[in-house]
Amino acid sequence: MTGSPAAQHQLDLVPDALLAGRAADGDTAAFEALARRHGPLMRATARRLTGSLTDADDVVQETLVQAWKQLDSLRDPAAVKGWLLRIVGSRSIDHLRKRRNHVDLDDVENAVDAGSRPRNKDPENNAVNSSRIEALKTALAKLPEEQRRCWVLKEFNDQSYEEIALTLNISPASVRGRLARARITLARTMEEWR
Amino acid sequence: MKTTGDTLECGHSLAELSAYLDTGQIDDPAHLDSCPECQAGLASLRHLSELGSDLLRSDVAAAGSGNDDWMQSILDNLRLELRPGRSIPLQSEDAHDTLWETEGSISALIRSVADALPGTAAGKCRLHGDVTTPGAGITVEVDIAVVYGHAMEERAAVLRQELAETLAFHTELAIQTINITVTDVLEPPTPSKEEQP
Ligand SMILES: [Zn+2]
Repeated sequence: MTGSPAAQHQLDLVPDALLAGRAADGDTAAFEALARRHGPLMRATARRLTGSLTDADDVVQETLVQAWKQLDSLRDPAAVKGWLLRIVGSRSIDHLRKRRNHVDLDDVENAVDAGSRPRNKDPENNAVNSSRIEALKTALAKLPEEQRRCWVLKEFNDQSYEEIALTLNISPASVRGRLARARITLARTMEEWR
Repeated sequence: MKTTGDTLECGHSLAELSAYLDTGQIDDPAHLDSCPECQAGLASLRHLSELGSDLLRSDVAAAGSGNDDWMQSILDNLRLELRPGRSIPLQSEDAHDTLWETEGSISALIRSVADALPGTAAGKCRLHGDVTTPGAGITVEVDIAVVYGHAMEERAAVLRQELAETLAFHTELAIQTINITVTDVLEPPTPSKEEQP
């Protein structure tokens, strides 16, 4: 790939819109800088959606391939992060559909949380907070699949009801309902837990 | 939340409150301020939303850095196709040879000139005009970002001059105008950022 280490370092400092503009012009170094910048978020949301570490990395890769091809169509380069996350959402759901009849989903979903313990960055707050987070993970895992997808696409991928509806191929009203049911169940569980 | 099903004692539903959090819209907003049941429901949903953000942060931290091997191996697999853009004919001493350069290679040249100036990075660049016809007048448009503290007018003037010289030397394009737009002013790099791997 093109770009000296010095140039790459410089690219790490510039805003998304500029990188997206360069990438649309064919600058692979700028595209890679975007991928590195948003890669962890893409990987995290894909893991939470697919429940699989391997699928998540496939999703990130497919997302980047699609993004490179379609960058021309991105009207607002500053919105590239949300655009990438929408692609991650669609590709993740595709993976789930392909996998539906092949693997017991619950087994796979549990693998994510076993394989990715959060790092201890804040020791004082960590015990309380991480046990709350663990409780949320458990509650999420118990939700009906369609509700969990709506919740993750909303809270992690920051999608609108309309975008989630397109991704899941259901109506915006269904999104609203499923999201509400997911939140009510989760909120109740967390209140009991607190 | 004292509830029977999804409906609060005041008659509003938690589903309405959930939609209100996302859209800011609800039938009678004035009721929300005065209703303890709705206030409690909203507080509970907001608390969940904060917890969701904590989970996302924890998941992103667990995903690792974009500079780690996992991302490198994904990038290595991509094999991004080049974007050559339009083909630009070049004069040849031998009439039988047909020589071309690509619009993409000109964009790369323009970026390299802008990036080489201290505190400057190129953004999008465009060649307006019929580059496929030798001698046709071409207008170059370049977006740049400049680090705070550099004089922008002066930077644009220097870049315009350097681009004119470089394009005249390396290409046969009849450049008429070079328009430079400063789209971003960047924070100067901080020492801690420079120490990052
Ligand atoms: Zn009320």
